[in-house]
Amino acid sequence: MIRHLTYLTYFFFCFVLQAQETDRDLLAIKSRLDSIDHYEASISLDILASFIKMPTKYASMTYEKDQPVSFTSDNFILIPKRGLDFTLTQLFQYPFITLDRGIEKRGDKPLKVLNIIPEDDQAEYTIAKILLDTTNRRIVESEINTRNEGSFKLQLYYNTRQSALPDRVEITFELQKLRLPFNFFGKDTQIDRQELRSLDEKKGTIILRLTDYIISRTGEKR
Amino acid sequence: MRALIWAELYKLYRQPRTYYALGAIVLMEVVILFSAYYQGSALIDVLMSTLKQSFYFKGDLLNGNLLVYVILNTIWFHLPLLLMIIVSGLLTSEYKDGTLRSIFVQPVSKSKFVLSKYFVAMLFTMVAIFFLMLTAFGLSYTIFGRGDLIVYLDTLNFFENNDAMWRLFWAYLSGTVTMMFYSVMSLTIAIFFRDTTITWILATFFLILSNLMLRVDFGTSLWGKLLYVKLGESWQHFFYYDINWQEIVLNNTILLGYTAIVMGFGILVFKHRDIA
Repeated sequence: MIRHLTYLTYFFFCFVLQAQETDRDLLAIKSRLDSIDHYEASISLDILASFIKMPTKYASMTYEKDQPVSFTSDNFILIPKRGLDFTLTQLFQYPFITLDRGIEKRGDKPLKVLNIIPEDDQAEYTIAKILLDTTNRRIVESEINTRNEGSFKLQLYYNTRQSALPDRVEITFELQKLRLPFNFFGKDTQIDRQELRSLDEKKGTIILRLTDYIISRTGEKR
Repeated sequence: MRALIWAELYKLYRQPRTYYALGAIVLMEVVILFSAYYQGSALIDVLMSTLKQSFYFKGDLLNGNLLVYVILNTIWFHLPLLLMIIVSGLLTSEYKDGTLRSIFVQPVSKSKFVLSKYFVAMLFTMVAIFFLMLTAFGLSYTIFGRGDLIVYLDTLNFFENNDAMWRLFWAYLSGTVTMMFYSVMSLTIAIFFRDTTITWILATFFLILSNLMLRVDFGTSLWGKLLYVKLGESWQHFFYYDINWQEIVLNNTILLGYTAIVMGFGILVFKHRDIA
């Protein structure tokens, strides 16, 4: 009897997993983002971190479908490795399943919460949590756990209801260790090593502001 | 007084060691730039390795501004040594050659005479710093170009090109006050000890002692705030992200006060001493 129940439970779970379907709202957003072939924007970049002091940096950003985002700037800029994939190409690159985790509120706005789990081991992430604005068909928040580079959180803000691409993005990042050659670039006499040790694993936020979008797409207009 | 100053300036202009000192400054800069040319990128890689986890970099941080800053950091020990040798020589050579006697055969005020020495010592210090600044900026910008400056002072500070240039300029200006203190001190040591070799040894010892004291952490005590070596570090304050002008002005004013006291003490001793 117990053996039969075990088999029954096993087959039930297999059936449930087989029956997992990709979320329709997510597919609608994916289709909207997939329609973007090219975009350009002017960006300003601010880093909010206790261990980095940097003035606002300005650059131009260019996206071509299936290509990494490129930047041009007259000055030295730090470009975040994660979080610039607004079209979420990397997230949807390999087959994935979605799990509906209900509704979460941001302010007064109810947002649909989904977990995305890749089915292919080649995917760079292991699991992602995304919050969808189903009314305006866009992603407003994501937390992505990568295989090799920790996790990062993205918050996307839009100026208009029609915008498919964000006007402001906040990327939370984490640095593990601050290693510095004391004798060359700085004052080597008054370094507080205790304070330096406390800088291990510090969090910071990158704020990107995007303006002057030029978007080419196959479908709707921004 | 004006004639005395002109005479001292002429002596400085005529003595070969003045030019050796200026030549040594350029040579030191060339060595620093040469080492930076070969090692700089690797050092920046180490510095930025932490940020590489999260960022790509666009632009070059190994640029003229960084090199001017490195020169500034490296040369602040060697430059006072050169200045102290040249400046103390203004008086010890007079003792050595016996020219003081012939000067004071004429109606020359001892106070005015030694004051003119101090004045020329400070003027030479300013000229040497200006020369250092000119050559540092000129060589660094010519070889490495311009760009953002990165400095580690409690935090990783990034300054854009124009901002970096101004900060470096102010740092040189603030450093001039520090260098003037060392020059005046060496002349006072020369008044006390007269002998060239002894003066040089003591001036060097004073400099080494100052550097050792710089490494002592006096915390936030009054000692730490009023010690001349700590006050002489004010130029570094220009590389904190937010410049504390009040503290820099106060530190430099106190240091100028110390300079005046050391100078006054030297004048007093010289005035009451026989010309041997």
